[in-house]
Amino acid sequence: VHPNVSQGCQGGCATCSDYNGCLSCKPRLFFVLERIGMKQIGVCLSSCPSGYYGTRYPDINKCAKCKADCETCFTRNFCTKCKSGFYLHSGKCLEKCPDGLEANNHTMECTSVVH
Amino acid sequence: DLSMNNISQLQPRTLRHLRFLEELRLSGNQISRIPREAFSGLYSLKILMLQNNQMSCIPAEALRDLPNLQSLRLDANLISVVPKRSFEGLLSLRHLWLDDNALTEIPVQALNHLPALQAMTLALNQIWHIPDYAFQNLSSLVVLHLHNNRIQSLGANGFDGLHSLETLDLNYNELLEFPGAIRTLGRLQELGFHNNNIKAIPENAFVGNPLLQTIHFYDNPIQFVGQSAFQYLPKLHTLSLNGATDIREFPDLKGTTSLEVLTLTRAGIHLLPRGMCQQLPSLRVLELSHNHIEDLPSFHRCQRLEELGLQNNRIHEIRADTFVQLMALRSIDLSWNHIHFIHPEAFVTLRSLTKLDLTDNRLVTLPLDGLGGLTHLKLQGNPALSEPFTKESFPKMRVLEVPYAYQCCAYGSCSSFFKMSNQWEMEGMSPEEEDPHKRTMELFPGHADNHYDLDTDDLQLDLEESKLHPTIQCTPSPGPFKPCDHLFE
Amino acid sequence: QKAIIRVIPLKVEPIVLEGEFANVAEVTPAEGKLLQSHPLSLCNTSEDEHTESGFITIVKLEQPDRDPNPCLSLANKAKLAGERGARAILFDITDDESAADQLRKPRGLSQPVVLIRGHDAELLMGVVNKNREAHVKIEVKEPPSWPDYDVWILL
Repeated sequence: VHPNVSQGCQGGCATCSDYNGCLSCKPRLFFVLERIGMKQIGVCLSSCPSGYYGTRYPDINKCAKCKADCETCFTRNFCTKCKSGFYLHSGKCLEKCPDGLEANNHTMECTSVVH
Repeated sequence: DLSMNNISQLQPRTLRHLRFLEELRLSGNQISRIPREAFSGLYSLKILMLQNNQMSCIPAEALRDLPNLQSLRLDANLISVVPKRSFEGLLSLRHLWLDDNALTEIPVQALNHLPALQAMTLALNQIWHIPDYAFQNLSSLVVLHLHNNRIQSLGANGFDGLHSLETLDLNYNELLEFPGAIRTLGRLQELGFHNNNIKAIPENAFVGNPLLQTIHFYDNPIQFVGQSAFQYLPKLHTLSLNGATDIREFPDLKGTTSLEVLTLTRAGIHLLPRGMCQQLPSLRVLELSHNHIEDLPSFHRCQRLEELGLQNNRIHEIRADTFVQLMALRSIDLSWNHIHFIHPEAFVTLRSLTKLDLTDNRLVTLPLDGLGGLTHLKLQGNPALSEPFTKESFPKMRVLEVPYAYQCCAYGSCSSFFKMSNQWEMEGMSPEEEDPHKRTMELFPGHADNHYDLDTDDLQLDLEESKLHPTIQCTPSPGPFKPCDHLFE
Repeated sequence: QKAIIRVIPLKVEPIVLEGEFANVAEVTPAEGKLLQSHPLSLCNTSEDEHTESGFITIVKLEQPDRDPNPCLSLANKAKLAGERGARAILFDITDDESAADQLRKPRGLSQPVVLIRGHDAELLMGVVNKNREAHVKIEVKEPPSWPDYDVWILL
């Protein structure tokens, strides 16, 4: 099979090739670049990998990186789960909770002070 | 993770023993309906992913007994209706994805039961109107994405209740008027309404949004901008306005002290206020091309100014104090003006200046003091400027455009230039590349006279970073019919 | 100008291939770790998760009709790769001969751009497919000592 014919593409691909993997995705899937050793291939997923967030557009759905201190996020500026050592508060990852809130080391979030 | 498995049906109570399950991925399947008890028993569930399925309505019954659910993904389905009680019981829900569905209106009543919601996207739907009080109970909402809908109208109180909102994305809609409803968003930091049909930005447009850092509103047919529209925005870094032909006066930017990049092109400004730089102490880039400016104030208080674009105006002279003390100024574009006089000391203090473009003016002479650091100088289109230059005038010159070929001969033997320019011909340059204007554009890619921050990926020649041949590229290069000696001397 | 490409995989025998320097960039030798870049990774909007610099990237170009409106021109893709830390850019143009014309115009890019095609390209992509790591040396192949002239004058 010629390496560039789109047969036997991985599940979500619309077009693909042996060396580059997916070149385009089926509608509504996210195009993601995956590195395995020296290789870098395109894959099509229904959600972005951990550490990335997805943005849907009419012509393409893209994954982009969360901030360095964030493990999962809704947008680049709104984190949903911080990396260890940070407390989550209103989408932000903080090393210390703001005044009036206390650090919950179980959930790693800043919560209202309970009197 | 059960995603991408061609699952089309869920059976009731099959997951009921998974009391400690926190994340359930069912995305990328063929699910069109979810029975009532599909998720019963999942008391610890925090994340439920149902995106990329075939659901045409919200599985309200199935979502009822998920007290700890925080993230619910319903994007990329076929949902056209969100019943009133869809999210009842989801008191912990923080993140809701409903983008890429078939909604035609904001599910106002359903959203009334989500006190903990912090981030929501309704993008890529068919929503055409935002009614008053659409989000009135979402006091914790921080991020709201509504891009790629068909929103034409917006109630004056459309955003009331969103006390915590920091990011609002209205890009790619059909808004005809400026979204005045934003005035109640006191904590707004990021606002986008580019690619709409808005023609005017009113006076005091952002008076209710003192924390704004970015405003993206390009690709709107904006003709008018209120003088006070962008006042008192102390955190705003960038302001880009292109083609607002009804703007006659430079905006009053009182209180917008952090502005670093100001682009105001293709308007009708004919005068720059004396106190402009006092209002903009942090300005690095000022792009005012294609206006009607005749006279320049002194920019000396714009101490951090690095790039100044004034091409295609009606400026007729440069005075001694015009650019005085601008130590950081690297690039000045004054091409396509009416400049007939430049004061001998105009450039004296500009020790960082490397690029000067005076193409197409009315110069008779060029004062050289202060121009020793130039690497790019363009003087074509000044027919009266016939003085020859000496090698010492521009020791660091790399790219020089002059009115006459003989002015190139000051930089080494003419033959080397002859070979140099000949080599360009041998490269099979297409005629288009030979057009001087085209090559002028190439010399200063950053100042293409289109949208300032337009992505310049299609410009071929980016000389700033390239290491051209060490010899100077001087045009027009001498040749058999463009001799080194001035014919009429 | 011809290029000699020495590929030294981590665990198998090195191979020597031949390519051609493109005029878009300087003709200079280069050396570094080999990394493949997907054609769509060299776009302004795509993120590069690779942070180290000092690598040599190989881009396997697909047939033009499979990417009807590319995000950047090939010259700007090469420039972007250089900005992201690539010491040299190898383009496998087996399936896109038009790439050679696109990269002929001098742009003075500082990282060399080398075109490779056919069997040599297949061998190189084979190394990428079957090995975890490889090192690459690009050398400038000196032209034959007898210079070639365009015009000969016979007396």
